[in-house]
Amino acid sequence: MSKGANGEPMATQSDKGIIGKPVPRPKRVPSSQTFVPEILKGMKVTMKHFFRNAKEVALQQRPDPVLESLEEGVTTVSYPEQKRPYPERFRGLHRLTLRDDGSPRCVACLCCSTACPAQCIYIVPAEYPEGDKRRGYERFPEQFVIDELRCIFCGYCVEACPCDAIRMDTGRHAAPYDSRDQFIYRKDLLMAAVARDGSRETANRRPEPGDPTHPGIARDHIH
Amino acid sequence: MDRYSILFSLLKIVVVLLFVVNTAAILTWGERRQSAMIQDRIGPNRAVVYLPGGLLKVVSIVVSFALVGAVAWYAWMASKRPLAIRLDANFALSELAVLLSWVGLVAARGAARRRGETTGVGGTLARIADARSIFFVGLVAHVLVGVVRASASETDAGIAAALLQIGPFVLAALLLMAGVAGVLRVPSGKVGIRLGGTLHALADGAKMAFKEDFVPPNADHLLHALGPLVAVFPAFVLIAVIPFGDTLCLIPDHTGHFWTDLFHARIGEIAGRMYSPVVPRYGVCTEGAIPLQVANLNVGILYMFALAGTGIIGAAIAGWSSDNKFSLLGGLRASSQMVSYEVAMGLSLVGAFMTYGSVRLDDMVRWQADHAWGIFVQPVAFFLFLAASIAENKRVPFDAPEGESEIVAGYFLEYSGMKFGMFMLGEYMELAISSALLTTIFFGGYALPFLHRDGITIAFGDSVSYHLRIAHGLVVLLGVIAFYVKTWVVCWAQLFIRWTVPRFRYDQIMKLGWRFLLPAALINMMLTGLILLAIREGGPGLSNALDVAGDVTQALVFLAGVAGVIGLISSILAPPRRRARSISSSATFAEAQGGTKMSPMQA
Repeated sequence: MSKGANGEPMATQSDKGIIGKPVPRPKRVPSSQTFVPEILKGMKVTMKHFFRNAKEVALQQRPDPVLESLEEGVTTVSYPEQKRPYPERFRGLHRLTLRDDGSPRCVACLCCSTACPAQCIYIVPAEYPEGDKRRGYERFPEQFVIDELRCIFCGYCVEACPCDAIRMDTGRHAAPYDSRDQFIYRKDLLMAAVARDGSRETANRRPEPGDPTHPGIARDHIH
Repeated sequence: MDRYSILFSLLKIVVVLLFVVNTAAILTWGERRQSAMIQDRIGPNRAVVYLPGGLLKVVSIVVSFALVGAVAWYAWMASKRPLAIRLDANFALSELAVLLSWVGLVAARGAARRRGETTGVGGTLARIADARSIFFVGLVAHVLVGVVRASASETDAGIAAALLQIGPFVLAALLLMAGVAGVLRVPSGKVGIRLGGTLHALADGAKMAFKEDFVPPNADHLLHALGPLVAVFPAFVLIAVIPFGDTLCLIPDHTGHFWTDLFHARIGEIAGRMYSPVVPRYGVCTEGAIPLQVANLNVGILYMFALAGTGIIGAAIAGWSSDNKFSLLGGLRASSQMVSYEVAMGLSLVGAFMTYGSVRLDDMVRWQADHAWGIFVQPVAFFLFLAASIAENKRVPFDAPEGESEIVAGYFLEYSGMKFGMFMLGEYMELAISSALLTTIFFGGYALPFLHRDGITIAFGDSVSYHLRIAHGLVVLLGVIAFYVKTWVVCWAQLFIRWTVPRFRYDQIMKLGWRFLLPAALINMMLTGLILLAIREGGPGLSNALDVAGDVTQALVFLAGVAGVIGLISSILAPPRRRARSISSSATFAEAQGGTKMSPMQA
């Protein structure tokens, strides 16, 4: 027989089979087969707990377990009234950042929709009209749709964006809407969303040609 | 009375529907709340309505003034009546004053203790070590008021009548004090009204009404919509045959004080004028009879069996039409369970029908009022019927059709919004109805021990030891209250089963139904038949002995009821046993160290 670490005989399956304290099968007596006495016994236990707790709560000798959770300093957060602040870099709902003139910074390069593993971004790129100074230089999203129910909030779209045009710094989670259509966020909604500090722009300005602070920016390489 | 009968029919329908729907809503709350009290964990409490404190102060003072006004009006109305009626009115108001006094004192003592008052009235109250002493003094005062009323002469006013005259004034003063206390206690800012968490059920209902109603794309849309309707329909119509009170006899008397006399007149002929609509104990009035039962069908309980079975069709077609394997399994389980237990359910009550000699529910209640409650004459049938009715309601421990751990939610898995709400409402309404049915068949329905149509009669066999005539309106009112209280107590006990018993395995359900409940019901039926034959052949001596035994059970019920209420109140008011608390968990340890720090998240 092999020995265990502290010298006790260690049973192996080969010599003794499964060992353990034999527990007798519960006897099939009428009280357990008709269930009634056993159920009454169980109800006695639950009622004992109920009456003891009810008595102590009624006399206010202990806090009501239900109302206690509403009090201050309890670990449980009473959600709609109290909100636990999200971490600084929490990836919330998306927003489209804006230029100084209020148009989206997005140039409809489709990097984000390509990078998206959940394929929840749908973009229809469009050319600026004839005569616009941006025509031929960059495009703009005629439609920019994100299905927030499909989104897995991985942040790849933010990483992929070359223009810092999409961000997930709103600090908001998806609201409990009452239909699935309402989770389809379109361009106007995404552009209306603000960062946590309330801004619609980003920390990185994108100067346009002619900006006196950034001389030398021009759109002269017409394709 | 024809114009009244239509009005009363509508009124009865409204009353029973309001009762069953509200009971169902409160049961959804009560079930979770009860579990919170058993397991010491959080329960429903979230829903809250904020009201300005000023409004609540106004409400408090207005309600108290309105109540004082009602007391004054009642006492004034009574003061114009003969002395006997005046005594009765003052007696009732005095008892109310005593009740309000001791309840108020217990509450004030608790509040003073919590505030740590040491001086003044609060300090005196807080020094009362045992709240039970207040309750016992109150009990003695209740009895004393009764003694004063019994000793008062009904022909000429004496010292007892003068003492009873104090009652209304004390009651009015107490109501005013309660109103003022309410004004002082309510804070000025906004106050969250939670009504003990019952608003949660209301909020849930509102939520379900506005939630998305999702239908699986491949579901059978018609049947998917029909399922919850079929499931909830029987719950609405079943309550119709349950009598919730004794037949009300509207006897117009020539004084013209139709309604008031129905309630507070008690004495027969006073000074040649008929003041008292005390009705005879047996028989129902021929004119102006209003049975407190929506539909008095002669098939009675058979209607219940027929319709209770149809509820399961809803579950079955819901399971089939949802295009989901789990739903289908749930629907199958529900229907097979219904088929198995419907048989045992019907047969378990046959013994009761034989004993009562009727399948009409009002006849059953009358038999129980005259003899003994069903639980004493058919104890086996009670347990069989209880088990079968829980199985019919698909509640724990027979909730295999919706067994969460195996088939997610069973037949209502693919339901959301109000359609799911209808399944939920239907389940709790059926719980309320099965409790009402258990009350009617086994706990005497609206009958109270020794309270008959003509008043209180304490009699063992043929020897009447005490008789007190009580106005018919009051008798009926007490019966209605008794029925609803009993139903709620049975509901409460049924909720306990839900928190106590684990779910049966499916084969155990089938075995229990076919191999235990069904044979037991058959044996119970045959034994009942043999015993009834033996009683019929036994001669008058045996039936007299059984009558006395029946009256003894009524006395037992009465004593148990009184002892139960007194025991419950005094056990709740008893000072706590100090339990040694070991610092075993981190929370109690931290508490002993003087509290915890706020986490950065909370700060």
